[in-house]
Amino acid sequence: MNAAWAIFRKELRVYFVSPLATVFLATFLFLAGLFFYMGVAMSGEASLRIMMGNLSIALMFLLPMLTMRHFAEEERNGTLELMMTAPVPLWALLFGKWAASFALCVLLLIGTLLFPAILAYYGDPDWGVVATSYMGLTLCCMAFVSAGLFASSLTDEPVAAGILGVLVLLPFWLAGTMAEMVEADWLRELLRALSMMTHVDGFSKGVIDSADIVWFLLVTIGFLFLTWRSVESRRWR
Amino acid sequence: MIAVEALSKNFGTFTAVNGISFEVGMGQVVGFIGPNGAGKTTTMRMLTGFIPSTSGRASIAGHDVFEDPMTVRRRIGYLPETPPLYPELTIGTYLRFISQIREVPRGEQVRRVGEVMERVGLTGWENRILGSLSKGYRQRVGLAQAIIHDPEVLILDEPTSGLDPRQVVGIRDFIRNLATDRTVILSTHILSEVEALAERAIVIDGGQIVADDTLDGLRERVGAGVRYRVELCAPKGVHVATEVGGLDGVDQVQPCGDENGITALDVRAPQDPRTAIAGLATAKGWEVRAMERHAPNLEEAFLHLVGNER
Repeated sequence: MNAAWAIFRKELRVYFVSPLATVFLATFLFLAGLFFYMGVAMSGEASLRIMMGNLSIALMFLLPMLTMRHFAEEERNGTLELMMTAPVPLWALLFGKWAASFALCVLLLIGTLLFPAILAYYGDPDWGVVATSYMGLTLCCMAFVSAGLFASSLTDEPVAAGILGVLVLLPFWLAGTMAEMVEADWLRELLRALSMMTHVDGFSKGVIDSADIVWFLLVTIGFLFLTWRSVESRRWR
Repeated sequence: MIAVEALSKNFGTFTAVNGISFEVGMGQVVGFIGPNGAGKTTTMRMLTGFIPSTSGRASIAGHDVFEDPMTVRRRIGYLPETPPLYPELTIGTYLRFISQIREVPRGEQVRRVGEVMERVGLTGWENRILGSLSKGYRQRVGLAQAIIHDPEVLILDEPTSGLDPRQVVGIRDFIRNLATDRTVILSTHILSEVEALAERAIVIDGGQIVADDTLDGLRERVGAGVRYRVELCAPKGVHVATEVGGLDGVDQVQPCGDENGITALDVRAPQDPRTAIAGLATAKGWEVRAMERHAPNLEEAFLHLVGNER
């Protein structure tokens, strides 16, 4: 546990001594502001629905940039050898890295609390819906960070890892659209189940469905497991 | 302390390490020497548990590297070929991080970091960014990283590669001081390094151990390689080589040239045969043109062991 904590702090430090975290936070908050304005101006409602929907898609493209260096860079610096010969269990390494990226996401989401505050000043938002929307975004972040970590373990080239990360997440986004295009019922149901949009939708409407929560947790754990296998298998090559 | 038994590693169809066995006792310093690509790094990586072996066993302090990796990892300090640094961090934060993952007790971390920095000559450099350091300083940080948890076994992969001569001397002194109460394996392709640091050398080539001996033992092998180069001028028709070969105490005579009536011979003998040869020449009325002792140095012995083509 101490090792995971040390790795967590080290990763956060690396984020903040490089311009990465700053650029990332700034970009994300800028996009959030844009989506917020568009959403409120277009619908005339005191709601965050449009902003939340767009943000979850923006995260899909941006988060792999945040996670891409995790294993790719360790491989390049030769520090993976350091970690794998120190008494650090692999789960601690994975968890420390995952938690550091996720913590940055939480920071990001805290930054966007400005927008519900603006809504509250001018209107009367449904706080229940706001809370569930944030819950949905948090779950998205958990899953995306996990997928990005997996992509990072596949290559020692960080940029390639970033692109792979987007590629890994893309099916979860496109599955919803594909579902509307297929004839076979079973396939449509399958694609819907796979689609992230299906599972995020409830949260943005104020509905907490335990199935949706389980879906996100499964994706998170699934990708962490794949990352574990992938890092482990590197040593056998 | 370290026991390796028939250890092999294949990468696909390429055999990097081919069934090597050796043992290193407590407090010994062993030089692992061989040309580039001989399998030194692969062997060290298997010893540290970083890569699994294809077959064979390795254990450190009685703990199997593959079955009990965490115990082994706690007992070793390892400096890979390139110092494993995070370029964004400062020396201080990096070493502090290493002390945490190396399980140095919380209350001792600051003190240990200070100690190892002093030991490798980095005092006052806490706030330097690792990415901006020169090769010599990176190597020092790499060494500091390897000893921060005071390990019983040190595995150092080419600890002085890429350093300037003054730094080489400094790092060697440092390793010599460390070695007093520790088991050290260090790899190198520089013979003088083994001479300066180790009492025993394991010569490895093509994934196999070609010699495992004390330095004195290696020099004895060199002794067996002593040749005497003799040039004699004898009348035509005399078979000089046979006559010299007939002398007592001469093992082997190899003619190596016959020009202008001067016969050149390579003579091998356990004792210096030059007096006897001179005596023979005088008795037969031959002219002695040259006689010299030709002893290969350690470098040549090494080349002989690993094959001359390299």
